[in-house]
Amino acid sequence: MAVITVDKLCKLYAGAQAPAVSDVSFTVADREFMVLLGPSGCGKSTVLRMIAGLEPITSGTVSIDGRIVNPIPAKLRDIAMVFQSYALYPHMTVYENLAFGLRRRNVDPAEVSRRVNAAAKKLGLTELLKRKPHALSGGQRQRVALGRAIVRDPRVFLFDEPLSNLDAALRVTTRNELIKQQQEIGTTSIYVTHDQVEAMTMGHRICIMNQGKVAQMGRPLEVYRNPADTFVAKFLGNPPMNLLPGRLETQDGRLVARLAGCAFALPGRTASSLVRHVGRDIIIGVRPEDLYETAPVAEATQITRLPARVVAVEPLGAETLLVVALDASNDELIVRIGRDTALKNGDRFDVALDSSAVHLFDPATTKAIV
Amino acid sequence: MATQVRFGFEQLRRAPLVLFVLLCTVVSGGPFLWVAAMSLRTTAEIFRDPYGMPSPVHWEKFVDAWTKSNYGTYFWNSTFVVVIAVALVTVIGAMAAHCLARYSFRGNRLVRFLILSGLILPPQLLILALFQILLDIDLYNTLSGLILVYVSTHIAMTVYILEGFFAQIPQDLFDAARMDGYSDFEIFWRVTMPIGAPAIFTTVTLNFIILWNEFLFAVVLLTDDDKRTLPLGIMHFTGSHQLDVGMVATGLMIAILPIIVIYAFSSETMIKGMTAGAVR
Repeated sequence: MAVITVDKLCKLYAGAQAPAVSDVSFTVADREFMVLLGPSGCGKSTVLRMIAGLEPITSGTVSIDGRIVNPIPAKLRDIAMVFQSYALYPHMTVYENLAFGLRRRNVDPAEVSRRVNAAAKKLGLTELLKRKPHALSGGQRQRVALGRAIVRDPRVFLFDEPLSNLDAALRVTTRNELIKQQQEIGTTSIYVTHDQVEAMTMGHRICIMNQGKVAQMGRPLEVYRNPADTFVAKFLGNPPMNLLPGRLETQDGRLVARLAGCAFALPGRTASSLVRHVGRDIIIGVRPEDLYETAPVAEATQITRLPARVVAVEPLGAETLLVVALDASNDELIVRIGRDTALKNGDRFDVALDSSAVHLFDPATTKAIV
Repeated sequence: MATQVRFGFEQLRRAPLVLFVLLCTVVSGGPFLWVAAMSLRTTAEIFRDPYGMPSPVHWEKFVDAWTKSNYGTYFWNSTFVVVIAVALVTVIGAMAAHCLARYSFRGNRLVRFLILSGLILPPQLLILALFQILLDIDLYNTLSGLILVYVSTHIAMTVYILEGFFAQIPQDLFDAARMDGYSDFEIFWRVTMPIGAPAIFTTVTLNFIILWNEFLFAVVLLTDDDKRTLPLGIMHFTGSHQLDVGMVATGLMIAILPIIVIYAFSSETMIKGMTAGAVR
């Protein structure tokens, strides 16, 4: 078991103008499952490869259990990695693929056999041990790739988007399988993905990266509920958070936010944190699930009504997404409502906004106003 | 009815292609069959009717060619030179191709240019220089010298074919092997070589065929009769005042047989190697 510490990690590729990874720091606790989440090209895989020892580090350090491993080659770091393409050796059988790493480490053949068979049993691969990778389905290949990591019993697991080559249905089952395996084995893991559902469901903590930097780190729901900036607010959540231009004002001696001509109080917000933004433009963020067709009665005091027109209706089966344009500003919002709505294109209604759930951001810095 | 019309049109559309394939077959197969027929006829018979069929069939000419003309020695010389040269060119070429395809190092492009420039140099241009170098290092008129020349002149094509194939092997496989604890050489030997087997097989076959038939370097760099390779052996039947056409044809057939056997067994794999991707 191991604690991984990444400190001020930077990566500048030869000939590149800007660093691919800049000043990234985090610690992954023993037995923790950390997810690095971000869009393509944000540097998350580069961080993973530097931890693995597959990519030279420009500056900063990677430590495992307090020992800096920068100069230690990949093969001596006792880390196993599952690749996006699975990276199964096509000329070897499943058994040989699983045993390849152990044989290099001069493990006794009887022990190799025992460990390979145990991993195969755990992952349901026993029947497939004599097959070659090209005779396996995507899900089976993925399990072999995981098995190859498991048999080595390493200190750290690294996963580089291991589910992104699977179809949607298989991805869900394999995701659950991975969660189960990690809980059973309990090895410290770092998992790279651009899929927020994977991040939310698998990670003990998630580290969201943007343009080579850490945008926010925390427990999944914590990050979802309190995004640190507009990037995280937009990136996490499907459909994403609505971000609208607004203004912070005082009305009758109390602070209010003004959005599309409507002013509403900000329950739960202390005046001291907001006071320096009074009289200034702000960005108001509201998640689609905090907008209603019919306001929930219990929270009536916090409800603000915004007159709007339905622009598009997207029935998803379990729920319906409405795209609405606000009458006052013509800004578009996405509203998540129940599947039984009778609203259709062109209908007018008052969107009910739960003002206790709004997020405020500084337009200059894009950071959250807390 | 509609199906019949389409079928007729399809046949018509394919006719030029079939004709073209037939023409190619006649152009390449015709001379071969002609030589095969001549190899079973005497020179007198051939001069009487150059395009005639063997009647009677002179099988004994093969025995004569082998026993009376030192053909056994030429055959084993060819086998010795070609097998060793092909083995060396394959191992060295594969290593070079692996490095060029896999590692980015300073001077990478220059090294690639220098190796691949060997593809555009005609052998006639090199022959005098090679003759002088082999004389200087006491390898003139030796089979080892010829092997050295064959290796150096065939590295370029080998690297060219193998590098293209090796570059298609996903980087993840090499990274996985590194994580599994393997060194760079072990990765070459245990990952690149087995995965690149179809391409390696292709270069082995091509090099074998080309070197087995190689004449120019052999005729310039070997002088002793007991060191000659098969293509030179065929010259044995041509003198300054006479030409034993029948025996030349028999000698050619003996020389060509190993190539036919190799090609018959490997043509499919060779075509796969030249066209397939590295990993399915």
